[in-house]
Amino acid sequence: MTMESEHPQDDAAAASDKLILSLHGLKKHFPIKEGALQRVVGQVRAVDGVSFDIRSGETVGLVGESGCGKTTLGRCVSGLTDPSDGAVYFNITEGDRDRVDALRDIPDEQRSEQEREELAALDEAHCINQLNEQARRHYRRNCQVVFQDAFASLNPRHLVNDIVGRPLQVYGEASGSELTTRTVQLLEQVGLGSQHLYRYPHQFSGGQRQRISIARALALNPELIILDEPTSALDVSVQAQILNLLHELQRERNLAYLFITHDLSVVRHMADRIVVMYLGKVVEAGRTQDIFERPQHPYTKALLAASPDLSDDTDTEIPTLEGTVPDPAHPPQGCRFHTRCPVATPACGWDVDDVVRGLENQENLFDGLSAVNRVSPFEAQLTFDNEASARALADTLHSNAISASMREALEEAVVRDRTINIRFNPAEEVELTERAPGHIAACVLDPAAR
Amino acid sequence: MMSEGAEKNPSKSPAPVVASVADLQVHFQSKRGIVHAVDGVSFDIHDGETLGLVGETGCGKSVTARSFLRLVPKPPGIDAGGSILFRPRTTCDACEGRGCESCHQTGRVSAGCSACSGKGCSECVQSGEETLDLMQVSNSRMRSLRGDRIAMIFQDPGKALNPALTIGSQIAEVFYQHRSAEVLDAANVDVSGIDPGSLLLKRQAAQQSRTIERTLLKIPPLRSRRNQITAAVDDMVADALAETQIANPRKIMQRYPHELSGGMRQRVMIAQALACNPDLLIADEPTTALDVTVQARILELIHELQQRRQTAVLYISHDLSLVRRICDRVAVMYAGRIVEISDADQIFQDPRHPYTRGLLAALPSATQSRGKLAAIEGTVPELVDPTPSCRFSGRCPNEVETCARFDPHLQSVGDEHSVACFIYHEPPEGSGGRPTLAARSS
Ligand SMILES: Nc1ncnc2c1ncn2[C@@H]1O[C@H](COP(=O)(O)OP(=O)(O)OP(=O)(O)O)[C@@H](O)[C@H]1O
Ligand SMILES: Nc1ncnc2c1ncn2[C@@H]1O[C@H](COP(=O)(O)OP(=O)(O)O)[C@@H](O)[C@H]1O
Ligand code: SF4
Ligand code: SF4
Ligand SMILES: [Mg+2]
Ligand SMILES: [Mg+2]
Ligand SMILES: [Zn+2]
Ligand SMILES: [Zn+2]
Repeated sequence: MTMESEHPQDDAAAASDKLILSLHGLKKHFPIKEGALQRVVGQVRAVDGVSFDIRSGETVGLVGESGCGKTTLGRCVSGLTDPSDGAVYFNITEGDRDRVDALRDIPDEQRSEQEREELAALDEAHCINQLNEQARRHYRRNCQVVFQDAFASLNPRHLVNDIVGRPLQVYGEASGSELTTRTVQLLEQVGLGSQHLYRYPHQFSGGQRQRISIARALALNPELIILDEPTSALDVSVQAQILNLLHELQRERNLAYLFITHDLSVVRHMADRIVVMYLGKVVEAGRTQDIFERPQHPYTKALLAASPDLSDDTDTEIPTLEGTVPDPAHPPQGCRFHTRCPVATPACGWDVDDVVRGLENQENLFDGLSAVNRVSPFEAQLTFDNEASARALADTLHSNAISASMREALEEAVVRDRTINIRFNPAEEVELTERAPGHIAACVLDPAAR
Repeated sequence: MMSEGAEKNPSKSPAPVVASVADLQVHFQSKRGIVHAVDGVSFDIHDGETLGLVGETGCGKSVTARSFLRLVPKPPGIDAGGSILFRPRTTCDACEGRGCESCHQTGRVSAGCSACSGKGCSECVQSGEETLDLMQVSNSRMRSLRGDRIAMIFQDPGKALNPALTIGSQIAEVFYQHRSAEVLDAANVDVSGIDPGSLLLKRQAAQQSRTIERTLLKIPPLRSRRNQITAAVDDMVADALAETQIANPRKIMQRYPHELSGGMRQRVMIAQALACNPDLLIADEPTTALDVTVQARILELIHELQQRRQTAVLYISHDLSLVRRICDRVAVMYAGRIVEISDADQIFQDPRHPYTRGLLAALPSATQSRGKLAAIEGTVPELVDPTPSCRFSGRCPNEVETCARFDPHLQSVGDEHSVACFIYHEPPEGSGGRPTLAARSS
């Protein structure tokens, strides 16, 4: 992976050399605990190595199906939770960012003393996970979050006056009558007024509550706001008001937005660049127009096809994507999308788990299974109660019950007694490659390469 | 794999009306007065069609939908008038359900009116067909219609599932109740010599689900096949769940509703609704909480059901792009009233009512420049003891003085296209003038 492809350039925003945010291989894994002793039996890999940048004044859209890690990523970026690995850099120049990338790509033990010091200095200055208390407070002010469910995020027992004024109070920005004046100013910015100061959240409509959340986020004059599905609960009419408001505020204050949504028409309208996530990983990123007009990744294409749009031809069918997002605790090998990809090839990472994933709905096939010996993700021995069961599985693996590309990837399915040895061609994770300037995708099918 | 999708029903022949809502009025008692949540709504639904019902939050869509099954809580709800006439279907005798000319290839026909044996009388509104006013039928009749002739998928799946039963047994119940013949067929049970009446057990009031299974299995020739039958039903339940693309259907069957996510519960409910073969399916924002990929699959399932049974669908949504894609006709609702109703293509190409125009203009698009979306300012008013007026006055860019003093009524503006707005029909005499489209500010 080249530096360029890891951090796509955007001509339009390239003018500003300051990056508000730069994610470097960000990971967040949640332990799965079981039993009375709460033993850790696995990890949910909610975010699993994500890198991208946000420039000041820019809107980056983050899209993907539910459960693919968007909210978790937003929480890591806002400092609400610490990443398991990787880092979030704030207010860093592109030059320094390149330096960080280079230094972090050197394995820990191979870094020289000098390199170690250089990285430590950069981390101390910009990495939000290693800032001292004062710098961390500074970051928290500069990066605010607006959630989907404004009702849940606004304290029902607090008056609007307290909700919007609180950040100013906590950071000692204002008090007394100045606090009230500033609070009213904030409310006015979002289309509310002093008449709303002494009301409770439940006395407002959904759209008004979202305005209150935005006013609160604006209080400390942040440079970046993370918007997690800010209009998903709203009507189109009110959504239009909020989207207009967000745009206006962005222009006035040169705000950067990380706009998380699953509504592609909203993100198309709002975002300068789009990052598409699937199962904790970035599968495609690029300028909004490029993503919509020349999507490179089959997953992006499927998402676009499934989203209804006013310009659709109504006589055509809405294409569907088979299957569900696999369990992020056991992501598929190779390309994580291969279990659902309509154009998957034999090189996409077929693994032993796919045998079970693909055939679990077939009756009785695994009934007599008595032992599994997993050699690698790509090789395992399955032992059954009787030879017939092992043969039945072997026959199925050579039949149309599994896809042609999976069959082609199957190197071996040999039965000895009651045991079948299954071995697939091993495959590496599919890396992001550059498809056009500033447009990257992770798929083995690269039209340019053919 | 890309597969068959949910395209629209292309036939435009006037299929028979399965349900007819006339001047429906549902109000709510509140501290501030009477809220006119639904205030004179009328529309028909035909066999096999998808009618979209759109409008902003609080405009009365769900109350209208719930009225079909009498699920509006009373009090505070008040039946303030109107009717919902429903014509249940039975299997066509001529072709035994295979489809023939006399039944328009649907395999189903309307049941004859028992009061006049088909001649036409006041009870069947002179149609000669069995006609039930859903606002009037007995509670027991309503219970037998629910989930059998009329199925509903709710906006909030949480309340619709029984928290005390596993997912598997809730869906199994549907198969035992409504598709017993298929169950026996799948279990390879020879049904000759068994009284069909005893096979088609219907739920008795307040009976618990598992008892149905028990009763069914008590019939002597079936008892010995118990395992075969339960296995067959389990298979059918697993298939029904798998169709909604839920992962690990067999594991899900053993879980309880509270153990599932909202999206999963929604799919369970859809599996349940599709498992029976209703004449009318009411879908109240069934996919709003789901991903577009899952949404596409659910729409396809609904479409398949429609093909199979000529089921009529009332599809409630606030997603206009979606409604345009899947509906044959669209009704736009605002503050308790239908303000425009028409063929779907027509309404999207040539919206007439200022509210419909406003909704369409508010949709974000790539061509619209940022910050320039045409928002409709304000929100749907909650109408407490409203005086005669256009409900959209106060937010309407075309409004004139007349609009706040008189009620516009739905009137035809063309082929099957009706609009309630003084721009399109003459206000009553003595009013202060007539609005025009030109007055639109933007
Ligand atoms: N149980 C109730 N008691 C009092 N008022 C009610 C009740 N149920 C609904 N209403 C009122 O009736 C009106 C219509 O509500 P309804 O739920 O039908 O809206 P809707 O169009 O389905 O909106 P949404 O898009 O949010 O689902 C609203 O003003 C609502 O507050
Ligand atoms: N606190 C947590 N503990 C365990 N798993 C979690 C936690 N938070 C999120 N997850 C899991 O991480 C994955 C990504 O979740 P999330 O970031 O909420 O997705 P999205 O916002 O894209 O819908 C999901 O599988 C989710 O169940
Ligand atoms: S690498 Fe490309 S072709 Fe292969 S499964 Fe992934 S998306 Fe599909
Ligand atoms: S012009 Fe008048 S009647 Fe027509 S929608 Fe506007 S307010 Fe109502
Ligand atoms: Mg989320
Ligand atoms: Mg509703
Ligand atoms: Zn017939
Ligand atoms: Zn009659």
